[in-house]
Amino acid sequence: MANRYRYSSRLLVVAIAVVFVAIGLAGVASQNKPQIVLAEAPLVEKGQLPNNAACLSCHMVEGQVKEFPNGDLISVVIAPETYGLSAHATLSCQVCHTNISGYPHPENLAQSSRDYTLQYQNTCNQCHPSQATELLDSVHSKIMAEGNLNAPICADCHNPHEQPKIKKDEQGRLTAVEHAQSAMVCGQCHSTIYEDYAKSVHGTGVLVDKNPDVPSCIDCHGVHSVRGPIGGAAFRLSSPKICADCHTNEEIMSKYGLSTQVLQTYIADFHGTTVTLFEKLDPDQQINMPVCYDCHGVHDIRRADDPEKGLQVKQNLLITCQKCHPDATENFPDAWLSHYIPDRNRYPLVYWVNEFYKYFIPTVLGGMGLFVVSDIYRRWVVDRRKKNSIPAETVVESQKETQDSDSLQDQQEIKSVEEENQITDEKRQDEENS
Amino acid sequence: MSENQKTYTRFSLAERIEHIVLIASFTTLAVTGLVQKFAQSSISISIIAALGGIEITRIIHRAAAIVFLVQAIYHLVAIGYKLYVQRKEASMLPGFKDLQDAFQHFLYNLGLRKERPKMDRYNFVEKAEYWAMVWGLVLMALTGFMMWNPIATARILPGQAIPAAKVAHGAEAILAVLAIFIWHFYHVHLRTFNKSMFTGKLSRHEMEEEHALELEKIEKGLLPPPPSPEELKRRKRIYYPVAAVLSLILLFFVYRFVTYEQTAITTIPPVSAQSENVFVPQTPTPLPTRPPTPTSIPTPAGQSFEGPLSWNNGIGQILVQRCGSCHGAMGGLALNSYETAMKGGRSGAVIVAGDSEASRLVTTVRDGNHPGKFEPQELELIIRWIQEGAQE
Repeated sequence: MANRYRYSSRLLVVAIAVVFVAIGLAGVASQNKPQIVLAEAPLVEKGQLPNNAACLSCHMVEGQVKEFPNGDLISVVIAPETYGLSAHATLSCQVCHTNISGYPHPENLAQSSRDYTLQYQNTCNQCHPSQATELLDSVHSKIMAEGNLNAPICADCHNPHEQPKIKKDEQGRLTAVEHAQSAMVCGQCHSTIYEDYAKSVHGTGVLVDKNPDVPSCIDCHGVHSVRGPIGGAAFRLSSPKICADCHTNEEIMSKYGLSTQVLQTYIADFHGTTVTLFEKLDPDQQINMPVCYDCHGVHDIRRADDPEKGLQVKQNLLITCQKCHPDATENFPDAWLSHYIPDRNRYPLVYWVNEFYKYFIPTVLGGMGLFVVSDIYRRWVVDRRKKNSIPAETVVESQKETQDSDSLQDQQEIKSVEEENQITDEKRQDEENS
Repeated sequence: MSENQKTYTRFSLAERIEHIVLIASFTTLAVTGLVQKFAQSSISISIIAALGGIEITRIIHRAAAIVFLVQAIYHLVAIGYKLYVQRKEASMLPGFKDLQDAFQHFLYNLGLRKERPKMDRYNFVEKAEYWAMVWGLVLMALTGFMMWNPIATARILPGQAIPAAKVAHGAEAILAVLAIFIWHFYHVHLRTFNKSMFTGKLSRHEMEEEHALELEKIEKGLLPPPPSPEELKRRKRIYYPVAAVLSLILLFFVYRFVTYEQTAITTIPPVSAQSENVFVPQTPTPLPTRPPTPTSIPTPAGQSFEGPLSWNNGIGQILVQRCGSCHGAMGGLALNSYETAMKGGRSGAVIVAGDSEASRLVTTVRDGNHPGKFEPQELELIIRWIQEGAQE
């Protein structure tokens, strides 16, 4: 009997797990800043000046050059004063120039000055192994391995005869002057980028204001394990984290009145969502969704209110959008909330739609829930209690049924309903066929 | 046949298929949509990964949206057929009675009424769900269009309509999914497992409980009689072409909807920093010019020597200063004392007393085969000293 079935086996326990609301920023992995490990004990004891006089007697003479078969000339002059101030003042020449002893010097097969420099590629490793290891991960080592001989080795950035000990403050941060100096070192080979950078809000902060809060090249690209967009999309996809390192730091940003919501609002948007997902799932995939620097500029980042390039200027923003959306018209840039969280005054439409649903969803679901709870109460509490208080219910019901069937009138009615029903069924059959 | 075993046809096969398609498209839309809304949660990320990445997830979402829209068009046509050709009652239209039923049912649940309200073919529970679905479809289609075609949207509407559409689309999705869980699942799965959407039939008991009014109408023969075959044929002749044109127009709209612009799926690649030449060295390292400038070491060259030249009178001073740093304590030729200087190096003497031309000290340096040089004046003194016998 359907009735019996209905009242006896109704212990349905259905667990519906609404799991979609599990939100959680999977921790934005903090960046490992490469540490500069100071040289382990140099090969000669500190304080004991080596006898470099033999070499210097010739090499201190001004104007000496070495010529290579390809016509390159390099200066082979060492100024004793500069060398004496360098970090290597306590080293004898042969610590590095291991192949040169006595005169005439052994023949060197280098065809060009670059060949000659590269002969010293691994020389620094003997005293600076940790930096050498960091360097292995760098784009410079990568392109070097690909055969690009312009890729720098240690000596290209740190002139071994002149490089003084790098000055740092108590926290181990570069002093302001060193910080600025570091950008200039990169500028030796990346001069066009350096020029862009020097004009940028970061560049002026570092080079002019000597402000250590502002990033120099190495703060974004790393010191020895230099990262860059070369060879794969990984750098690009993870680059928002680099910017976010400072731009979500309340301590730094509050000094300049800058918002720390920039990352959060970026990730909430279509572009940021996509980039973040690719970064997590497919970090080497080249994708065209913008990262911070696609809109704000790579090295020529300007203040947001810069009349020429600042993105607060609507025309500049439109031009920026059009880089990827060439058909974009005047209204289009407003589709991007410019890192703001909408409020009554800024993007009010978005704000009010949000507000509407904040009340609409609980109202609708609450209404539904209320009814459902009342229905559960009726069926599982009231009806069950009734059933328990009248254990003979089924008997009563079957009796009633018998009584019902006894009634001739009722039987006739059933018949007519059956006929009706048949007609209805036929009708539907007809529908289905049609 | 007992009354309780009697069944009442509720859904035709076509309607049941429609419902299955709806389940498929709705669920797909919900899953692929919610993982986009909560894209940072780890569950979403695993689902997106399982689907093959965010781009594929988005494509699946769009495909399901197209199915959803096409189905809506089919549904419109089917309703038109029922209302116009079959002249059926518009039993899904909401009315005041539904509000009343809902209220009375609520009171009944609380025990404040003895009887359930008698409800028609579609009761307030089903109407609420149906019209919520219609509302959701329209809103999702509109906001979906705006996100799918943001450039076209921004030509007509303010730009912020697009993020507003995104907010509405996401919020509506939450509402729809939770409503399905709370309302639909409760009423047709939990409260009683209503199988009519799959079997097409309702039992008499179910009819009594949920559609008592309809049951009454059926039993009392109050339903309008089906139209005659001739009438049906006539109406079909009119309806089919109209429906065909209408569906074609609507399908065209769907086609435009999904192909209007590609911005949200593909964009042109950004101007990449990689295309620039990053290696642009600054001006070349300054080099000293040739010929090398003369030594700046102060030498005794200018000094005048009194008396005859000897090692102790001038010459030793020149040789120690000029040569001593290499030719000193390092082994080999040592020019830092008279004895060792006269003795020479590994390849023999370098000073032949009385014969400066045979003395390699003079010839090697004079011919330019030596890195260290003497000043001309110094060389003159050394030659004179050798010629004079190279005295100590």
